[in-house]
Amino acid sequence: MKVTIKNWNAIAQWRWDIGKEFDETDDEDLCGICRVAYEGCCPRCKMPGDDCPVLWGECGHVYHMHCIMQWIEQQPPNKQNCPMDRKPWITAERKTANTATQQTQAVQS
Amino acid sequence: MDARLRRVNKEIADCKNDKSSKIQLDLVDESPFHLKGSFPGPEGTPYEGGRFEVDIRIPDSYPFQPLKMKFITKVYHPNVSSASGAICLDILKDQWSPVLTLKSTLISLQSLLCSPEPDDPQDAEVAKHYMTSRSSFEETARYWTHIYAGGPDPKAKDGGSGGGSRDEVAMAGLEKAHVDQFEALGFERGKVIDVLRRLNYRGANVTKITEDRVVEELLKP
Repeated sequence: MKVTIKNWNAIAQWRWDIGKEFDETDDEDLCGICRVAYEGCCPRCKMPGDDCPVLWGECGHVYHMHCIMQWIEQQPPNKQNCPMDRKPWITAERKTANTATQQTQAVQS
Repeated sequence: MDARLRRVNKEIADCKNDKSSKIQLDLVDESPFHLKGSFPGPEGTPYEGGRFEVDIRIPDSYPFQPLKMKFITKVYHPNVSSASGAICLDILKDQWSPVLTLKSTLISLQSLLCSPEPDDPQDAEVAKHYMTSRSSFEETARYWTHIYAGGPDPKAKDGGSGGGSRDEVAMAGLEKAHVDQFEALGFERGKVIDVLRRLNYRGANVTKITEDRVVEELLKP
């Protein structure tokens, strides 16, 4: 039997790296501030994606960038803390979860 | 739909689905931003057996501003105003965080009932009572739980049904003998209760406050 491919469509799915494996049943995959999924967007945006990214703190907590920024901006300078652990908020430069790194390595090898 | 409404609706639904916490949320009027929450008094405290209702208002900029909560049910507690139900709790003020929810805030109120902070009181008279005589304070708190929150009758050890007539002396956490003593001097009972409560005429304080001092207060118009 000979199969000739006439046409094909590639479909890709993306998710924000939130530091753990995706779990559909886990309702903790929500931004703690707006309670919308990380994969969605913050309540002020219409489309998920690069316009409404997630932001990592050095402490490991993740929020929609717009949500955490609104909180930080309204706080006095000495109280710009992570809402989860109350440590001073420091945006992590670029943080990649171990799981994602391992997956990339697996593909490469 | 605005962000606040979406989050509040979600929180109300979550609370309905969770039967284990025994925390209830109800609408007060048409607005989803004015709610009534309630929770059982914590076990092993004078509030055990009562159900406590809280008035909740959700500010425009929620969750970036704290929820406004006050007790509807009268509570005898150093951090709750015995007159207005206003609550002194850091997370309702400067320690608010946008990850707190209706449910987690109500749970915090429940645990405030377990651990009073008399050094940061909302009701100075109640706090003084708490510091002077813990057992007398707890007796009064239990009595308030019975009268206002539907808790068991502290006098009926078998946990008789609620209701019963209010005993103004027990409500104020005073000794009947003390009130009778000054009433016998010809002062009006209500005034005696008021003055003795204000002077914190309880426990070891009774020996420190002279009769003359009480009479002097009673004679003030």
